[in-house]
Amino acid sequence: MPGPDDGVGEVALIRIVAVKFLQAVPVILIISILAFLLLSLLPGDPALIIAGEQASPAAVEQVRRQLGLDRSFLEQLGIWLFNLAQGNFGSSLVLNQSVLSAVAERLPVTLSLAALSISFTIPVGVLLGSVAAYFRRTWIDSAVMTVALLGVSIPAFWIAILGVILFSVQLGWVPSSGFAPISQGVGPWFASLALPALILSLFQIGFLARMTRSAMLDVLGQDYIRTARAKGLSEWRTVGKHALRNALILIITATGILLSAAIGGSVIIEQVFALPGIGRMVVQAILARDYPLVQGTMLILGFTFVMINLIVDILYTLADPRVRHD
Amino acid sequence: MSWNVARRGIAVALALGLAVSLGPVGSARAQTPKKGGTLVYASVSGPGTLDPYMASSAVELEVINNIFEGLVTLDNANATRPMLATKATASTDFKTYSFELRKGVKFHNGQEMTSADVKASFERYKRISPNAKNLDAVDRFETPDPYSFVIVLKEPNVVLLDVIKSPIYPLMILPASQKDKPARDIEVIGTGPFKLGEWVKDSHLTITRFDDYTADTSVPGRDGYGGRKTVYLDGVRYRFMPEATTRIAALQNGEAQMISSVPSELAARVTSRKDLAIREVFPTLGSYVIVNSQKGLTANVLIRQAIAAAINVDDIIEGAGGINKRNPWMSFPGTPYFLGDTAPTPWYDIKSPARAKELLKQAGYKGEKIVIETNSNYQWMRSTMLIVAEQLKEAGMTVDVQVTDWTTNASHMQQGTGDWNLSTTAFGPDHILGPQQWRPVLYTFPHIVGNEILDKAYAEFFAAPTLEARRASWLTIQKEVLGGGYLVKIADTGRLTGYAKKLQGQNDYAGILQLWDLWLD
Repeated sequence: MPGPDDGVGEVALIRIVAVKFLQAVPVILIISILAFLLLSLLPGDPALIIAGEQASPAAVEQVRRQLGLDRSFLEQLGIWLFNLAQGNFGSSLVLNQSVLSAVAERLPVTLSLAALSISFTIPVGVLLGSVAAYFRRTWIDSAVMTVALLGVSIPAFWIAILGVILFSVQLGWVPSSGFAPISQGVGPWFASLALPALILSLFQIGFLARMTRSAMLDVLGQDYIRTARAKGLSEWRTVGKHALRNALILIITATGILLSAAIGGSVIIEQVFALPGIGRMVVQAILARDYPLVQGTMLILGFTFVMINLIVDILYTLADPRVRHD
Repeated sequence: MSWNVARRGIAVALALGLAVSLGPVGSARAQTPKKGGTLVYASVSGPGTLDPYMASSAVELEVINNIFEGLVTLDNANATRPMLATKATASTDFKTYSFELRKGVKFHNGQEMTSADVKASFERYKRISPNAKNLDAVDRFETPDPYSFVIVLKEPNVVLLDVIKSPIYPLMILPASQKDKPARDIEVIGTGPFKLGEWVKDSHLTITRFDDYTADTSVPGRDGYGGRKTVYLDGVRYRFMPEATTRIAALQNGEAQMISSVPSELAARVTSRKDLAIREVFPTLGSYVIVNSQKGLTANVLIRQAIAAAINVDDIIEGAGGINKRNPWMSFPGTPYFLGDTAPTPWYDIKSPARAKELLKQAGYKGEKIVIETNSNYQWMRSTMLIVAEQLKEAGMTVDVQVTDWTTNASHMQQGTGDWNLSTTAFGPDHILGPQQWRPVLYTFPHIVGNEILDKAYAEFFAAPTLEARRASWLTIQKEVLGGGYLVKIADTGRLTGYAKKLQGQNDYAGILQLWDLWLD
């Protein structure tokens, strides 16, 4: 049955979403201009990359003209923003396809990787953090925190290569690399991503476990936890319902950060596991000075991060009624 | 990171040369070929384009070479042999070249190739290819009948066939319907033994056997890039794996039967398995210190010669790692323009700081800074230039090493921009094809301007009717370029590939990846 202030809560929620969304517009605009400016500061010539190292200067100039790179900086920026306003993100110089279609082709790979990685991270990270907090200052706490420290400290590149040698070459459990789209079946899709997602989640599990432990320690020291115990609630209910739920704010924040980090961290993982995702594409685009592709991808990723933050804000309001009433 | 890994992205990294197997490739010859099966080839990265007229990188040419064919090509000895032509003849004044075309050759779309397609291809090449300058002297193309094609030049060109057989920016024959297509935007239709299947960028590309392929029956077997090609495989799947460890893992667990660029320090992972082997492809590139002759100190020939005199090639070979062999020349041994064992320059690997100091004194050098630019992408380049820096310091030079990324480094070298005096890179097909292929490189990378000896030698080269006369001009060119310290040759280099022994039919002519005549046992 609806409560007396639920209508007010919904209005507040809509207002918060609307304000946050409007706040995101200048952020995205600034990202787009920054993306253009930063790339234009980079030395190096995409025309030379395309024409080939041994092409004559005249041939390189011809390619430059073909690509519109002979125009002035302001002219190029103006054209880019004008096209952007019409939803046209431009075309990749190297891939010979539109930026949107290039991103759309690769986004499912990166999102699949990030989602699978987060699905490993959250239960394991929260569980480890909660256990460490509950058994604080015991050997269990020390053991869990040591594992978490290892997780955030071991270079992903190194552990990924070890993972390939162990799980693919020695044990033969998973393929060494490559991506199977979900249209080929859930089994092949999961097999192609399980190891990369697991490696990606190692850092995140360590991070989330430490955040959860810290949040839980704060909450477990509160008066209402003592009260809950005093009135005879089981430890399971005390920790699982009262403590963990109150620690959720921090965990939700951490999860938002982790999702963004998972997309960012995919650069290395996609490289090692030969996954045709956004991260690998951006690295290649930067090396080739494929300006439109880097700019467009940065903008799309910037928008994605803004949306993740927006969702985190919304989840705050759902998890903590005090936010709605502020 | 090893030499081989470091070289994987070099745009000109063509695999041209002799291949030496470290495993029993030779045993394949006793086997009976089997038809069928799909070969999985794990490559470093995927092609940017399959438009042959724009293609200069190994990863592009590894696909293009199996889909398209040109009028002429390189044979086993790297000399010219016909491919889609049956005969190519030059007039006595070298102003008219006539080609007779093979009859009944089909494109992948089912149409027969005629002289109209050849003419349209040459015209498109002239319009869009970065290599089009080599056809500047063309006055017109003629098609007297469907199987005859004639190139009429405004001035003699004795090496036109060498130009059009180039494996870099290859002049492949496309259907006439592609004539007006913009650069990098063609329909991928060739006459080659394979046709394009699926292409998922950054992931994989497939090619399948072209069952209507019309083989050149003028010889019993394959010959370089030409000859009689037989396709046993149903298809080939290229998988793009940037990391060497992952490629080796794919070979070890059977996901791939052939992999490119195995770093020498990881080769044992392949050779330790009885069912796998390593193949050494050598030489593929020649490595050089590039000296910017238009920049400050290094505009002075004495300073350039001092730099050359100070360099110790053996130290560089040892420090940079990989497969390197000393060769003072700008052509690979065994190619038509290789001139013998005696160095064409007094400076090659004399490792003499004392001589360098004498030259510096003559030049009036007063400790001014020499800027070395290198990059963070290719370890062998960085190692090479760090060693060179120490060698120059030992000879009394003040050196400033600046590290940038490869794209910037390459742009600076090619365009002469930036503050660099010295840098390094490696060149490939020039060492096979000879002086005409070297010409644009010499006038750009070291930025040679107003060198009358070089200009005259090139003029003589292009007018020389015999190979012997052209070789004489080439000697003059090399003496000027290496003796004048514009380029400092380091070594010829190679690379390693890995394969499963069940892949049979590889031969000694490596070249760019050739997938015909291979089978899976």
